[in-house]
Amino acid sequence: MKKTARIAAVVSIAALTLAACGERSNDEADDASSTPSASSSAPAPAEQVDFKACMVSDSGGFDDKSFNQTSHDGMENAATNLGVQTGEVESQSDSEYGDNIEALVSQGCNSITTVGFLLGDATLAAAKKHKDVDFSIVDFAYEKAPKNVKGLTFNTNENSFLAGYLAAATSESGTVGTLGGMNIPTVTIFMEGFRQGVEKYNEDEGADVQLLGWDGKSGSFTDDFEDKTKGQAIAEQMIGQGADVVFPVAGPAGLGALQAAKDADVDAIWVDTDGCVSAAEYCDVLLTSVVKAMDVAVEEAIAASLNDEFSNEVYVGTLENGGVSLADLSDDVDSEVADKIEELKEQIISGELEVK
Amino acid sequence: MSPETPEQAPAPEEQATGTDPKPEEAQVERADPRNPVSWLPTLVETAVAIAVALVIGALLVVLSDQDALEALAYLFTYPADFFNAAWDAIWSSYSALVRGSVGSGDRLATTLERAAPLICAGLGVSLAFRAGLFNIGATGQMVFGFLAAGYVGFTWDLPPVLHMLVALVAGVVAGALYGGLVGLLKARTGAHEVITTIMFNYLAASILLYALSKDAFQRPGSDNTQSPPVADSATFGSVADVHLGVVLAFLAAGGVWWLLERSTLGFELRAVGSNPDASRTAGMNVSKVFTVGMLLAGALAGLASTMQVLGDQSSLSPTLAGNIGFDAITVALLGRATPLGTVLAGLLFGALSVGGVAMQASAGTPKELAQVLQALIVLFVAAPALVRGLTRMRSSASGSTVQAKGWGG
Amino acid sequence: MRLEIKGLTKRFGSFTANDSIDLTIEPGEIHCLLGENGAGKSTLMNMLYGLLDPTEGQIVVDGEPVTFASPRDAIAAGIGMVHQHFMLVPVFSVAENVMLGREHTRGLGVLNRRKAAETVRELSSRYNLAVDPDALIEDLPVGVQQRVEIIKALSHDAKVLILDEPTAVLTPQEIDELMEIMRELKRQGTSIIFITHKLREVKAVGDKISVIRRGKVVGTAPPTASETELAEMMVGRAVQLVVDKEPANVGEEVLSVENLTVVDPRGHQVLKDVTLAARGGEVLGIAGVQGNGQTELVKALLGLVRPDAGTIRLDGEDITRHGPRESLDAGIGYVPEDRSHDGYVGDFSVRENLILDLYRTDGFSRGLALRLDAIEQNADARIKEFDIRTESPETPVRSLSGGNQQKVVVAREFSRPLKVLVAAQPTRGVDVGSIEFIHKRIVAERDRGTAVVIVSTELDEIYALADRIAVMYDGRVVGVVGPETPREEIGLLMAGAGAGTTAATGTDTEVEA
Repeated sequence: MKKTARIAAVVSIAALTLAACGERSNDEADDASSTPSASSSAPAPAEQVDFKACMVSDSGGFDDKSFNQTSHDGMENAATNLGVQTGEVESQSDSEYGDNIEALVSQGCNSITTVGFLLGDATLAAAKKHKDVDFSIVDFAYEKAPKNVKGLTFNTNENSFLAGYLAAATSESGTVGTLGGMNIPTVTIFMEGFRQGVEKYNEDEGADVQLLGWDGKSGSFTDDFEDKTKGQAIAEQMIGQGADVVFPVAGPAGLGALQAAKDADVDAIWVDTDGCVSAAEYCDVLLTSVVKAMDVAVEEAIAASLNDEFSNEVYVGTLENGGVSLADLSDDVDSEVADKIEELKEQIISGELEVK
Repeated sequence: MSPETPEQAPAPEEQATGTDPKPEEAQVERADPRNPVSWLPTLVETAVAIAVALVIGALLVVLSDQDALEALAYLFTYPADFFNAAWDAIWSSYSALVRGSVGSGDRLATTLERAAPLICAGLGVSLAFRAGLFNIGATGQMVFGFLAAGYVGFTWDLPPVLHMLVALVAGVVAGALYGGLVGLLKARTGAHEVITTIMFNYLAASILLYALSKDAFQRPGSDNTQSPPVADSATFGSVADVHLGVVLAFLAAGGVWWLLERSTLGFELRAVGSNPDASRTAGMNVSKVFTVGMLLAGALAGLASTMQVLGDQSSLSPTLAGNIGFDAITVALLGRATPLGTVLAGLLFGALSVGGVAMQASAGTPKELAQVLQALIVLFVAAPALVRGLTRMRSSASGSTVQAKGWGG
Repeated sequence: MRLEIKGLTKRFGSFTANDSIDLTIEPGEIHCLLGENGAGKSTLMNMLYGLLDPTEGQIVVDGEPVTFASPRDAIAAGIGMVHQHFMLVPVFSVAENVMLGREHTRGLGVLNRRKAAETVRELSSRYNLAVDPDALIEDLPVGVQQRVEIIKALSHDAKVLILDEPTAVLTPQEIDELMEIMRELKRQGTSIIFITHKLREVKAVGDKISVIRRGKVVGTAPPTASETELAEMMVGRAVQLVVDKEPANVGEEVLSVENLTVVDPRGHQVLKDVTLAARGGEVLGIAGVQGNGQTELVKALLGLVRPDAGTIRLDGEDITRHGPRESLDAGIGYVPEDRSHDGYVGDFSVRENLILDLYRTDGFSRGLALRLDAIEQNADARIKEFDIRTESPETPVRSLSGGNQQKVVVAREFSRPLKVLVAAQPTRGVDVGSIEFIHKRIVAERDRGTAVVIVSTELDEIYALADRIAVMYDGRVVGVVGPETPREEIGLLMAGAGAGTTAATGTDTEVEA
């Protein structure tokens, strides 16, 4: 048929044209190929081992500038430091988690990390089905986990407590604020720790620093981890009510809160990662960051699996094991306050001080 | 301006009498369902769109492949290296795409299950299209389906089969009511359905979030915004390795076809969709048709929601609807708003989605590629003129017929 | 200027719209182009005016072959065109409209309105057009708006003026005035190509008549040729111009309208206190210039427009509040004036359109299910009975010719028992052969005892069909007269002379049809 022939011709012409485009993009290609090697050049890559570490994101995807991304960094670090191969699938919707884990299993992954509580059911089901694969799940723990599933959780209330104390001690207006991405435990645990830190300061110093955005039960939420404008709007409102330190726990949406802080020239505290690295343009308004080292936990779980040391014992990131921490304090912080924070940290590690 | 009513009949002179040979226009616009030959241009256009999308996709695969890019740097010295690397990358990606989606019975089952909600929601959008309504609200309608089917599924205690049926009906009815409300608003107040469905999507998302913050929808002992999965007694049983929902999706497609082509209601839907004024003059109740059209569209979206909740046994979460509601629009567009076309487009998208995961898992191709393929296919289908230009299927300028319009004569 | 068209051909795909057309327009000649709708007149003019490229052939101006890439070239060559639908900006003045597109400016982009006004005044007095350059277009009657279009063309120094169906929108008086203007233009050396399908006008003003049929010039005739001869040339066979009808056998009053008033959404009273009655077995013709309330009257009769006051009775029963569905079910047949808008669904097949308002009856559906066999039989029968020229019953109606589209609508409405037939512009845009057929059917329906209401802006049609004539002006019925009333008298009524009001000034009467 004539049409068929025409289409065939067109397709081959298109292919040729595209190939021609490819030639012209020579220079860009050079850049593109050299960039990744430059970025991963710091430690010398470890020797390749016959072990495949894999990861499934939740529907946020690995580029979420939040816990998917940090977890993904952990797998990348494992590849660099331990020499393991990697495989990954980004989920597009909640109903495909099971299929996505299966797809990785069929690729011969030895260890699979799933990110987020939404994957809890699917991970458990897959673990029961594939006993020879080690599963770890970020931000989730089972009451009774099978032998090949490890929950990775973080006592972020501990470092948030320190952040709360720091905020209260730094505040001049006597008002500080926090806001969350969604009213879920993995978010409110930060806010609750922060609240207790503020209270601790009030008790110790007989002060009356007010906390906006969280009262222990309910608070201010963006209901969205993506939309910066929502984070900004809530933070602006808090600053309007006198808050001079804001603590957003809302993933990328929290960047809006940093912008609000910058605009109003007040302080802020970043969450999950060291803001002076991940959001460097806001470093000058940051007192510190409440770091949740998911990348470290993920890498450790992969290492354990590689070295046949894997167990179903829940990993709990604490101040003690460095799974949670405060990033370096800003230079603006009084040395007295800094010392006090260090003291509180020791008390928490020793068990003398308990954060609920 | 001129009080004379323009003769709007788009019957330019070249279409003088019925017995004269007509220009291509009429044949391209409307495929006669009984005449397979009339489908050919549509089929060819779609096939070309898919082929072009795959070619562009192949280019992207090469450009995102490390080995191929490295070889590109010394293309002129060792051209074979580049082409080998490029071919490897394309082959491994596309073979993973095919193997991962239809390579085995198991994969095929996954594809069918992934396609089922797309087909149902796509049918809802198609049906609304035919009634002249642009239903952007499949997402919101699905959310209401989730809430109803899910609640019945994990809260009530009923015997198997009955439990499933009740949950299924609950999901369908909830979607229908939410869709019907949009139709009612349009019929009563003239509120444009594009605006209301978009707003209703936001509204539904907020309601879902609110429900998931309440104990009634949360898992016992957990404060996460995640419901329990529905009870086993409420799940779709399996039919030949796929859940019953897949069968329901195909039945729904058959039902929509019958409704549109063989029933008085479908006659009204299509008439109103094509020319509401003439329909009103012919005694049809246009308001009723809008309401019923959206009601049915919502019911189909509700059916789609049960595929996830009762079929995959997924828990309710704020992101459960994902992109299905919007992909449904694309599926309907690609399927030319016909039931058969919607089914085929839904299957294609289901395969791309499942195969896309396989590409990521085995070939390391970014997930975006599957999405880019979907987008490109739709782009080329939605821009038939572009594809026609590429294939030179029509050499005569279509502009000339446009000019001749409205010249009385 | 001498304009020659030599072997001009235009093909669309495999279809030939114009087949090797030869015409010569001598300077100062009124050359009539006569042809049915769809004969190819507009395609030819589109090529002359640079809107379409000829497939073959030549346009020769004063012995020089020319090609027109766009209307701009055609205008530069001295060709002007007055479209059937005017291209004027309603809120601009006459002068502003005339200078539109090539504004006279005085440095720095300041518009020179004075110069434009002068141009208008000069052309107006030279050709006796009586147009005030400062009047706003929206305030002017249609006939004057048309003259503004003519001035626009003349201001570009047009030597050949194409008038595309210029009389379709005019009252009989305005038509006479236009004829006078055409003669004046001719006297001063402007050639005119006058496109029409109305035989009387051709004979009244033409110097030479060329007849186009199916894309070919089938002959030329002097203006002395008889109307029958011209009609035969146009249609290609003998046609009967006068409808044979027996005297009406008038029965009971079937439809009565009392004090009907309709206010449109903008607050204008478009129908004012109208009282009418239609009796079984007679044709009531409603004459009037377009936009004087006829549209609202027929829509109110069917229930598409809710009257604000007054009553409509069918066989004594009050149907004022009925919607279209009840009205149709009660036995009103309805042929809308704009068939593509209200009469059929263009994407639907002939078969489907033939049951557009019948699908819900027992004959064509059972429960929810359509009865395909019955629908098919109905389509085959109607297509045969009404001689609908279509490739197949599956063909979408939009691809039929205007005449056949109208036959589909008429066939559908006549395929059920009627008490009243309301037909608005039943033959607008329909070829002569179909007009003859539709008129016969309307008379046959009358003879079955149906009350028939015909709304037409064509007086010829009213005369051909009506047993009584009601004339509407400015939303009122200004007179009900017998069919023997002279044309001039009805013309005066149409212009509002009988209503005791001033001449139409546009505002209130301009209603979207």
